Amino acid sequence: MKLAWQNIFHDRSRFLATVLGVSFAVFLIVFQGSLLVGFLQAASRFINASDFDIWITARGVQAFEFGATLEAREREMAAGVPGVVETGRACMAFAVYRKPNGKQQVVALVGADSNLGKRFPVPELAETTESRSPDAILYDASDRSLIEVASLPAEVEINGHRANIEHEIEGFGGFLGVPSLFTSYRNAARYLGVGPDDGMYVLLRVGKEYSVSDVQRNLRQRLPEVDVLTREEFAHKSRMYWVIKTGAGSAILTAAVLGFLIGLVVVSQTIYANTMENIEEYATLKALGASRVFVARIVLIQSLICGAAGSILGLLAVVPAMHYARSLIPWIHTPWWLPLIMVVLSLLMCSLASIASVRSALTVDPGRVFRA
Amino acid sequence: MPDRFLAVEEARISFGEGDARVRALRGVSATFERGTLSLVMGPSGSGKTTLLSLLGCLLSPDEGTVFVDGVAVNELSASEKTVLRRKKISFVFQAFRLLHSLSAIDNVALGLEIRDGRRADQIVMARELLLQFGLGDKLNREPSGLSPGEKQRVAIARALAGNPPILLADEPTASLDAEAGRSICQILRSQVDKNGRTVVVVSHDPRWKEFADRTITLSDGQIKPQAQGQHA
Ligand SMILES: Nc1ncnc2c1ncn2[C@@H]1O[C@H](COP(=O)(O)OP(=O)(O)OP(=O)(O)O)[C@@H](O)[C@H]1O
Ligand SMILES: [Mg+2]
Repeated sequence: MKLAWQNIFHDRSRFLATVLGVSFAVFLIVFQGSLLVGFLQAASRFINASDFDIWITARGVQAFEFGATLEAREREMAAGVPGVVETGRACMAFAVYRKPNGKQQVVALVGADSNLGKRFPVPELAETTESRSPDAILYDASDRSLIEVASLPAEVEINGHRANIEHEIEGFGGFLGVPSLFTSYRNAARYLGVGPDDGMYVLLRVGKEYSVSDVQRNLRQRLPEVDVLTREEFAHKSRMYWVIKTGAGSAILTAAVLGFLIGLVVVSQTIYANTMENIEEYATLKALGASRVFVARIVLIQSLICGAAGSILGLLAVVPAMHYARSLIPWIHTPWWLPLIMVVLSLLMCSLASIASVRSALTVDPGRVFRA
Repeated sequence: MPDRFLAVEEARISFGEGDARVRALRGVSATFERGTLSLVMGPSGSGKTTLLSLLGCLLSPDEGTVFVDGVAVNELSASEKTVLRRKKISFVFQAFRLLHSLSAIDNVALGLEIRDGRRADQIVMARELLLQFGLGDKLNREPSGLSPGEKQRVAIARALAGNPPILLADEPTASLDAEAGRSICQILRSQVDKNGRTVVVVSHDPRWKEFADRTITLSDGQIKPQAQGQHA
């Protein structure tokens, strides 16, 4: 449709403003959405990284980051419940880390039994060919500048105990603001001064022939003093804790929602203003006998061109921005569907905004053509 | 009995409510015969534009009937009116109302597209029309690069694209200087003489009298009796 393209080309500065508005909205939403998705993911990362079906925590534990110790007895009792085929332990607590250069730094120490799953950051990974000692310490690449080890392995101290940092891993950057160190459960318990048989989190694998919820119910009856949650339940609880109950998460959630609303308003306002700018010409077309479809098509095509151009521009801007953001915010994450949804959404927003403006273009009284 | 090719019968229309109510037309009857140029004159606010809007199916009368090509327009739906307008009626405006982003030739081609749908020879036909009006060297100019007289000639070419039998013009020369105005008068007159079109011109401009077959004078929403049926 030549008129739509010509309008855009002729009024390119105005349309550029619209395109920038759309791309700003797309950028804002993808960025805020990535923060929110990344935050949610990070809030349940360790829980989701385990293969086990059920988590037992001290009563009232809200998130993996804030656990409390359980007695060895709880684990023994849980292991005896029919359907429980395997148990494992995990813990997380803060510790003081002394760097090779002698400086100190608070760290989050995560310890886990090696059977927790291939994705859980523990020293002995089944699939690695290199031999790692079970007491080796791992750290995430995003914490490199705070860990400050010149070469690996490096000899350091954790809570006054000697320790060996042996490997750098990726994908476990957290939002706590302190670096994380990963090691075996036994080792972590030693550093934290927890009895070797006590636990913080007891994880249970349920046999294939048993239903997880039946086993969970059974466990709750036998262990009334602790919380028994499926992996999904604990992951959800942890996410809700961080997003809803802490101010940090609420701020991110609010920003994402606001970003979405602002984007929506910016897009619909600019599209609407564009149509209204040419409303006299739509009246002329109608007076000349153009059908409603004819007029609506012009308006819709113009909006969709803006929507498409704006989405592309916005997404192009997101790529370097996310790259940079990741160096500051290691847990930010753009799932593949977010840009896709944004393109669809921005085209939809443009269409909706243009439908509203098409309505004015279509209901414009063609009689006004005589009023100069 | 006239063939009611283009006519209004006892048309009444008012705008607004209560105290603000304006009775723009108060029982106007007039027949515009095929192949004539009629001039509608009258003071400002007398209802000239309102009458033209009725004839152009842009407004419906509160009472009375409008006939276009023998059809009583009142009974048509909005989309039927649009189709009738597309096939039979074209407009020329004081403010030209060209589409600002399209070149002269594309403006005319769009008129063709609206009336005839997409056609391969659209551009060729548009060019022919513009050549006819002495705009051969301005085909690709945008409206902003044309003089008022040229703009009005492009607008007339657009109005004639697709060959509608009825042409309604509201103050087509009011924005033009004497020379350009005269050329528009001649173009519209020749459309009547050569192509047998029916033209209604609303104007304050007395120069039109020499080109019109008859003059209707409106005053306060009614046709002045003494002016009716006068032939030039
Ligand atoms: N859409 C409208 N809403 C309200 N009042 C209207 C409308 N259209 C016309 N009128 C009123 O109806 C009366 C006749 O208007 P019309 O435009 O037909 O006059 P006109 O003879 O064309 O005047 P002019 O020479 O100034 O163009 C005027 O009083 C005008 O204010
Ligand atoms: Mg008028």
